[in-house]
Amino acid sequence: MWTIEVLRARAFRLALAFALTITLATSGAFYLIYLRVTTADVAWVEALLIDESAKSVGDSEDRLRRALDLRLTRDLRRLDYVALFDGNGALTTGNVPTMPAIAVDGRAHLVREFPVPGSNDRTDSAIFVARRRPDGGVLLLGRSLLEVYALREAVSRALAIALAPTVLLILAIGLFFAGRGSRRLARIHNKIADIMNGDLGARLPETGEGDDVDKVASAVNLMLDEINRLLDQLKSVGDNIAHDLRSPLAVARAKIEGGLAREATVEDLRAAMADALDHLDRAAVTIAALLRISAVENGPREKTFEEVDLSAICAGVFDFYEPLAQANALDLTLDAPKPTLVRGDQDLMREAISNLVDNAIKFTPAGGKVRIEAATVDGRPLVRVSDTGRGIPPQERERIFRRFYQVERDGRSSGHGLGLSIAETIAKLHGFNLTVEDNNPGARFELRGADKASLALETARS
Amino acid sequence: MLMRADSNVKPSVLVIEDERDLAEEIRSELQASGHVVQLAENREEGLRAARAGGAAVMVMDRMLHGEDGLAIIETLRNEGNSMPVLVISALSSVDDRIRGLKAGGDDYLVKPFELRELTARVEALSRRAGDARATRLRVGPLEMDLVERTVRRGDRRVDLLPREFKLLEYFMRHPNQIVTRAMLLEDVWNFKFLPQTNVVDVHISNLRRKIDEGGEARLIVNVRASGFKLHVDD
Repeated sequence: MWTIEVLRARAFRLALAFALTITLATSGAFYLIYLRVTTADVAWVEALLIDESAKSVGDSEDRLRRALDLRLTRDLRRLDYVALFDGNGALTTGNVPTMPAIAVDGRAHLVREFPVPGSNDRTDSAIFVARRRPDGGVLLLGRSLLEVYALREAVSRALAIALAPTVLLILAIGLFFAGRGSRRLARIHNKIADIMNGDLGARLPETGEGDDVDKVASAVNLMLDEINRLLDQLKSVGDNIAHDLRSPLAVARAKIEGGLAREATVEDLRAAMADALDHLDRAAVTIAALLRISAVENGPREKTFEEVDLSAICAGVFDFYEPLAQANALDLTLDAPKPTLVRGDQDLMREAISNLVDNAIKFTPAGGKVRIEAATVDGRPLVRVSDTGRGIPPQERERIFRRFYQVERDGRSSGHGLGLSIAETIAKLHGFNLTVEDNNPGARFELRGADKASLALETARS
Repeated sequence: MLMRADSNVKPSVLVIEDERDLAEEIRSELQASGHVVQLAENREEGLRAARAGGAAVMVMDRMLHGEDGLAIIETLRNEGNSMPVLVISALSSVDDRIRGLKAGGDDYLVKPFELRELTARVEALSRRAGDARATRLRVGPLEMDLVERTVRRGDRRVDLLPREFKLLEYFMRHPNQIVTRAMLLEDVWNFKFLPQTNVVDVHISNLRRKIDEGGEARLIVNVRASGFKLHVDD
């Protein structure tokens, strides 16, 4: 249910907790104000009563009586209590018929449930001060706390009035955000369901607000893009594998079938078998190369990387390929005078560079040049393998790194077409970029490392 | 010290492999090239057979009934048994290979492999026992001085480039054995992969041109669909 979802939502629960906190804090503040006001009020009344009683207790009875009468006459709100009792405790003058049960000590005393004079059942709380007169009588001065209680009530009411809308407002805001959040999550949830049901083109909604949910959605979308790309690649690789494996297998099968169908001599059969074996080997080479790519992809990680010298590796590769270049009448040169240090896997780097050189030698016609360079340029390691072959047309430069792609060049294309894919996979693993450009004439492959900081980042991500 | 070409008595091989079909294939291939083969199916059986000491070389699958077979090698090494071991494995990542070799395996072969490759490596392992500290190698008419870095064929001095010297040294350390391209790439050039071009063959033909002159007999011969062999008559 949508409403239950909302109530469960974190935002709503947060709003509830927030409202509770605000209520407590506001009540606390009001209570403090109330306490200050009432105690100050009571203290002021007490001080006044004590002072007045002390001043007037010694006055003559007549004067006192007039003063008390005047006081009662002026007290329009009936808040004052005054009484003068004679030595026997009988009321001489005033509006308090009987002496309340307090000590006659000139101090202030709070009397609760004090019966209001002249009424049957009303009671009041009041502060009294009693003081004995020189003639043995008692002067009683008092003041009702009605005002103080009225203030207390006013404060409480103000609190209630102020608090209720605040709490409601906070709850409403909480509900609003919770509802919005859960609607957004519901949309994301629906999209995920779509994707799980096979709609791989679907993407999570991004609001562009850059909040937490947006960041997660954007990361998930990037991940989906990558998965899509890999799936596409896998699909085309699957097609290509099928094609590349089918042809040698079909030839092998035909040879064996032909050998069996003829009334062949042992010699014929041997020849057919040998041919078949050659083609099976070609299929095996392709499979081995594919396994190699996945081995590299699942291969060593940063933790096993060590400092390797790309210049030294280039020198080794040069030494290895020089005889082949000579045999193909190519001029193979090496330019790697200074060490080019990177963190990486020596064997894989050698493999990547070898594949580039292998490729260059394969596709450069006799009389051409192949050049291997290694250097640190602008703080970034660079290995460049350039040739003077026919080069790679701009529109094909993107595609050559795909698995199984082979540029048809002079009909000389051979091998499994995975060399550049392997090189690129290795480059990626090291946080390197493999690019191809025009060498005018020929192709120029560049294996370029990121600078130190981004290299660490790349390898950490992978 | 001299290292002589080995005699033709083939060492017996202990194969620890839980996959029946593959075990039988390996057995028949090794038997075809003259080895006595002993099969074991699991770790306990394999360990017992290895301790019994009948075999000179061991071929072991990395995964045996879902358990890591490397433990066998570690146990044997701890017991002071230095029998050479060829580890075969479906695990193909580079890390696994390193772990296999670290655990005491002497060579590592990833499935799917060619049976000829396996045989060639078993033979290389079984003869590795030969002296690695030799300063002179002599195979047939070839004589190599590892200190002076010189090579002679009979009375004739053969001038080799450093890379050709390394290549010939490998052949002379494995005389009369099939040496595959993968073995050369790994052991001579430290290449853990197969290049697409016939670069190894070019190296071999360059070397051949220098060691076989005029009407001299060919010493390094091609072995069809397998690799090469430094062939000399005993």
